[in-house]
Amino acid sequence: MKKKVTNGLNVFAFLLPALLLFVGVLIAPIILSGYYSFFDWNGFGAKTFIGISNYKELFTSNAIGFLKALRNSLLLAFLSVFIQLPMSLGLALILGRNIKGERGFLSVYFMPVLISTVVIGQLWLKIYNPSYGILNVTLTKLGLESLTRTWLGTKETALWACFVPTLWQYVGYHMLLLYAGVKSVSPELREAAKIDGATNGQINRYIVIPGIKPIIRVSVIFAITGSLKSFDLIYVLTNGGPLHATEVPSTLMINMLFLRNRYGMGSTIAVMLIILCFAFALLINKIFKEDK
Amino acid sequence: MAEKTSASSFSLDSGKYEIQKTSKVGQVLVYIGLAIWTFVNLFPIYWMFTFSLKDNKEIFGENVAGLPKHWLWSNYTRALNTGHMLVYFKNSIIVAVATILITLIAALMATYAITRLTWKGSKAMNGFFMLGLTIPIHASIVPIYVQLSKMHMLNSYWALIVPYAAFSLAMAILICTGFMGDIPKDLDEAARIDGCGIWGIFFKIIVPLMRPALATIGIYTFLQCWNELMFANIFNSKDELKTLPVGIQALSGQYTTDWGPIGAALVVATFPTLLVYVFLSKKIQESFIAGAVKG
Amino acid sequence: MRKVLATVLACVMMVSLVACGESAPAASTDNGSTAPAASTENTQVAADEKVDLEMWCIATESDSNRHSYEAAIADVTAAHPEVNFTWEAIENQAYKTKIKAAVAADEMPDIFFTWSCAFLGDFVEAGRVYCLDEAYEGFKSELPESMMGNSTYDGKHYGVPLTMNIVGLFANMEILKSVGYDAVPGTYEEFIACCDKLLENGIIPFGCAGKETWCVTEYLESVIEKSCGAQTLGDIFLGKATWNNADVAGAVDTFQSLVTNGYFDPDGIALTNDEVKANFMAGKYAFYMNGTWNCADFAGNDEFKDKVAVSEFPVINADKATLGQLIGGPSDTLAVAASSPNAALAAQFTFELGRQICHYGYLDGCGLPAWTPYGDTSTVNALTQTVAEICANANAYVLFGDTAMNADAANTYLSYVDQVYGCAIDGAGFVEGLTNDIG
Repeated sequence: MKKKVTNGLNVFAFLLPALLLFVGVLIAPIILSGYYSFFDWNGFGAKTFIGISNYKELFTSNAIGFLKALRNSLLLAFLSVFIQLPMSLGLALILGRNIKGERGFLSVYFMPVLISTVVIGQLWLKIYNPSYGILNVTLTKLGLESLTRTWLGTKETALWACFVPTLWQYVGYHMLLLYAGVKSVSPELREAAKIDGATNGQINRYIVIPGIKPIIRVSVIFAITGSLKSFDLIYVLTNGGPLHATEVPSTLMINMLFLRNRYGMGSTIAVMLIILCFAFALLINKIFKEDK
Repeated sequence: MAEKTSASSFSLDSGKYEIQKTSKVGQVLVYIGLAIWTFVNLFPIYWMFTFSLKDNKEIFGENVAGLPKHWLWSNYTRALNTGHMLVYFKNSIIVAVATILITLIAALMATYAITRLTWKGSKAMNGFFMLGLTIPIHASIVPIYVQLSKMHMLNSYWALIVPYAAFSLAMAILICTGFMGDIPKDLDEAARIDGCGIWGIFFKIIVPLMRPALATIGIYTFLQCWNELMFANIFNSKDELKTLPVGIQALSGQYTTDWGPIGAALVVATFPTLLVYVFLSKKIQESFIAGAVKG
Repeated sequence: MRKVLATVLACVMMVSLVACGESAPAASTDNGSTAPAASTENTQVAADEKVDLEMWCIATESDSNRHSYEAAIADVTAAHPEVNFTWEAIENQAYKTKIKAAVAADEMPDIFFTWSCAFLGDFVEAGRVYCLDEAYEGFKSELPESMMGNSTYDGKHYGVPLTMNIVGLFANMEILKSVGYDAVPGTYEEFIACCDKLLENGIIPFGCAGKETWCVTEYLESVIEKSCGAQTLGDIFLGKATWNNADVAGAVDTFQSLVTNGYFDPDGIALTNDEVKANFMAGKYAFYMNGTWNCADFAGNDEFKDKVAVSEFPVINADKATLGQLIGGPSDTLAVAASSPNAALAAQFTFELGRQICHYGYLDGCGLPAWTPYGDTSTVNALTQTVAEICANANAYVLFGDTAMNADAANTYLSYVDQVYGCAIDGAGFVEGLTNDIG
């Protein structure tokens, strides 16, 4: 009995720093955001309670275009899961089977992860520059002038052009996570399969991939929530343009908050972002569970 | 992580002969693929380095991808002097180090309470912290801004350190939980019998044994706060407090049409980290991997 | 020169269509060019206790106004030894975010840069801006009332204007000569013919930064004004009339035909204004429509200054519009925070600072002076002098749309402008959308 009392106090003492940070900086502001989302508020004047009008407007107004932003970020999420992750997985599987130069490749592929997103954005801005960027210059030199375009300025290509640097930056990240999983598959199991005559493909399919499912799940969650949250790169590359072709909820939120002085609406978008991230995390967990 | 459960669902239908055959051709293809991806990874970095040493004439036509003809180090003087890149770098380091320290302390303590102390609701508490994994940092910007300003904490390192630490916490606790699980509970028992209190156990046994976790948490936290742009842009406006991402954005606004100094700034922002990475790549990768496996 | 300017000021007074608050009180037409000394009387604060004053502005090191700010600050701080003055320049877009966040948190610096009309108006409405009526008394003779109109709300003055600018049609005369034109064509038909001629010769007529929508409005607003008349456009911007106007729809279609005819650089959509401006100076385009604050940079470039000319956009529909109807007016403004502990001193300081920034900015060619100029102005560059002549013949000014409208409406407007430039909607769609979303 006595032990329990000390425990209670101690538990609290140990949790205190983390709780202070977590509740003070994450939870409380989010509750406040939820509160603001029911107001028409320009950030400095008086607040007017308007119920769920912000939410209604968010989903119906063409001028705001939230659904389009949502679609864009879902497309990014889709591309991440179905292009980026398979690439990462492929690399992880190849590098995971003790091929020559494994360490060197691993080191190089992980390198972009350590570069700041803004640097990557600025660098790709230069790569995409319509007149002097290395991409168009190379295409012209190869005689493929018809393929050159203003990559970030054309509605059709802009979102893809934003995706490529993300791919470039994060393939290494997911690769290393998955590689860790691949490496942890017991070598004996591999050997045994090999002796039984399994091809590499079969080993991967029936032994390695099922074994690293938990890591794949984590990667999928990171890739999807990461896409929903994407901001830095898009902010640097296009800031949502041209014609909102690369608008994502985060850029829209900043636009509402600081360009249009609509703090209520900005908070509404923030709330929607949180809901979406949670919904997807739950959904993915569910999918992976059912798979088992 | 990989359990041996999946081994049973494994079928055989190809002979050894085929392995030999595909592996020869396959091997070559694999290396070609790897080489292409290596090129894709390295070329932009190489290009960035070369154009940081060129003038616009070279970049814009004469010599797009080659090594610079005249090594224009003056681009670097401009980036460092008018661009204040060193100050930004220093700020980024200060913010990153302080964030990592705070995250570590808070996460270690919380994880200890959650995993080693027995109390009702420890599971729920863990779940509560794990909410942080999916919450986007941007969603709380307005209330945090208002709060920081009320506390007169805008335009200080703390304006970034505190939010960054809070947002790194979930991942750190997740990793810590994995590592702490590896420490046998018998140790706690033994220490308790020796007369160690809870705090004693924490400081004398757990913390020293958690050393491998520190690097891992450090790396994940570093990646998060090294990149962050939105908070850094809005919470700190003084030049002497700007972090690298904000500084680079500002600099590129100043030199939009003069690529050399921008390139130099990008290189200054990138190469120190890459240099550290080159020397410690194995260690960094191992720590990063540890996070994945323990998490 | 001084005579021209006197006329300019008088004209602005009579015809400025955009006065933000309730109509500004009648202006005193006294604009005798009395030159104030650079140093001014000290205020009541004792010299031994230093007062901290902080200012935020957008005159970053690459900004053409930078020099005028530095020179002005040197002058005014020398005259105010009791003030411990610090200032900070933030890049334009980031600044908009920052100042609004600061206003929201009531963490403003004592003195801050702002755009007049709606931008400042929101802050005034929230009670965050210090009223300058008292301090203005001491400067009435140097700063005409009419120039205060854009920062006057309910008859009270809240801003110190710096320079005023209009949209100018800049032309690279070397390129025009190469296709057989010695001057910028004066009528719209000739102007279009000239653009076609340029295209035939493989030269892009217009440079415009699609990444920054305000650059598109520099073209679009001129086209609308020269099609529908200043009165119509001004009323719409100020919310006195709705967007539902067939003439405006027609004018937007006219603008769009310039885009679809290939007069605009297709690369421009992904470029920033600085990049487009550099392209123009490098001879990539024949024309560049933008604010006359560019005069300083153009005139300051030895290679370029002899090639460039500035003129007014030609009239498209002579039934509704005339030459002399311009886009622009005093917009760059300094204001004082109501929260400043030394607001009275800050107000005095701000007027002096504004006068000096205006003075040096004018000499540098960053714009036309909102204050009555003093001293020797013969060194003002030729481009700015041409602009002054254009303004002297002006009969109406419509302030930039995104400055005249409040933040929400302005961004909606910009978003529709974007869609017009990207040919996602036509004039009818533009008018319909804006009527629905703004009114």
